[in-house]
Amino acid sequence: MKRPGYVSGPGLWVLLFLVMVLLAGLSPGQAETLKVERPNTQLYGSPNFGSSTLGTVPPGAEVAVISRSGDWVQVNYGGKTGWLHKTAFPQAAGGVKLPGLLTGGPVRESKSDEVALAGKGFTPEVEAGFRQKNPGLNYAQVDQLERFQVSPAQLAAFLREGGLTP
Amino acid sequence: MRLKIGGIFLLVVTVLFLTGFKIPSLPVPTPSVPTPPMPGEARKAVDIGAKTGQKALVAARGISESEEYYIGRAVAARLLARNPLSQNQEATLYVNEVGQAVAQKSSMPRTYRGYHFGILETSEPNAYACPGGIILITRGLIKECQNEDELAAVLAHEVAHVAHKDGVNSINKARWTEVLTTAGTEAARQYGGGVAGSLVNLFEGAIDDVFKTLVVNGYSRGAEESADREAVTTLTRAGYNPAALAAILSRLNSRGGGGGIFRSHPLTSQRVDVVKMLVRQTASSPQEQARAKRFQEVRF
Repeated sequence: MKRPGYVSGPGLWVLLFLVMVLLAGLSPGQAETLKVERPNTQLYGSPNFGSSTLGTVPPGAEVAVISRSGDWVQVNYGGKTGWLHKTAFPQAAGGVKLPGLLTGGPVRESKSDEVALAGKGFTPEVEAGFRQKNPGLNYAQVDQLERFQVSPAQLAAFLREGGLTP
Repeated sequence: MRLKIGGIFLLVVTVLFLTGFKIPSLPVPTPSVPTPPMPGEARKAVDIGAKTGQKALVAARGISESEEYYIGRAVAARLLARNPLSQNQEATLYVNEVGQAVAQKSSMPRTYRGYHFGILETSEPNAYACPGGIILITRGLIKECQNEDELAAVLAHEVAHVAHKDGVNSINKARWTEVLTTAGTEAARQYGGGVAGSLVNLFEGAIDDVFKTLVVNGYSRGAEESADREAVTTLTRAGYNPAALAAILSRLNSRGGGGGIFRSHPLTSQRVDVVKMLVRQTASSPQEQARAKRFQEVRF
């Protein structure tokens, strides 16, 4: 007589299989990749903003994760190994994502209409119209302010001399 | 038999769980009858309906980083129309160095086009965090600072306002929804005169909202306390003495007078007390003294 309340035979195998699938989905993949979402993302030689930059990583680029250190992720991109700050991946913030299996796949695919909407709003064209309408505003000095740059070497020396954290 | 039913039930539940309880949608037959021409009123009703639907579609989209950048530029242009930018290169470089030192240790070390710090030519003590990363501090407020750590404390507080998006968050929600629905119309995609014009009006309204918060009404007490809290963390991470924030706030508060900074950044004894509780007073280190010395050497 079979004891009720226990799963055995084919039922047990099905259950074991499903548990394994779930566990496989939950664990991070062997070769984790992240997609860069922020424009003007720099690849740094060391995990700090004062270190030398190895180049720019464009938005949409996929980078292979090697290791992590605090707010920084060591990655390989285009044959170069360097460090990206976590803010390069706003969507990935929060650690390991639940696999698609548990959540029914990506919540929502972007439709072309939404992409079009996302690209519009307050744009350079709107700024141009605003400037035309408000000629008294001092955009010339805003541009001057934005052109002013502190070079990485200048900043590194400033931090060193002041005993500040690079 | 009981076991078999239990197994099937388990299998069905698991499959439903894995597929996210999605039920395949069945195609709904649509009539292929041509739509008769609509009278004006009916068309208007349909347009409103479509617009409402679109509102629901786009309501979730927040202000993008580039939009925040253009808003910040406009707010800065308006502030610079009232008080010009200092042309003192030595002081501007110094303020940018201190600003970058704290910005890179904040919760948002990078923005769309980076942080930029400028000095406003006025003796009235105040500081403004324009969305996107332009931070303006008046010469009057720099003069109130007694050393580099206090200047860093003021800038770290402003960086925190940028990082928390306290400026753009003051934009009227209904106005933002209107921006999205206007931007979503076909005419806007081609930038036809009328719609582009209404986007400019909406942009103008958004700048008013942010300007009012930054200059006229000030941030909420919660936003101020949150920015103070983050400034303490940022200063500590950067290697500055976080007690400098309590020192500068305390001095400004004791001066009183209800100037612009009291409107922009509501300053109360309670706020000063909270900051004092967050930081531990420490003896001035040799590095802090070296920083104070270089601060004294800059001619503001």
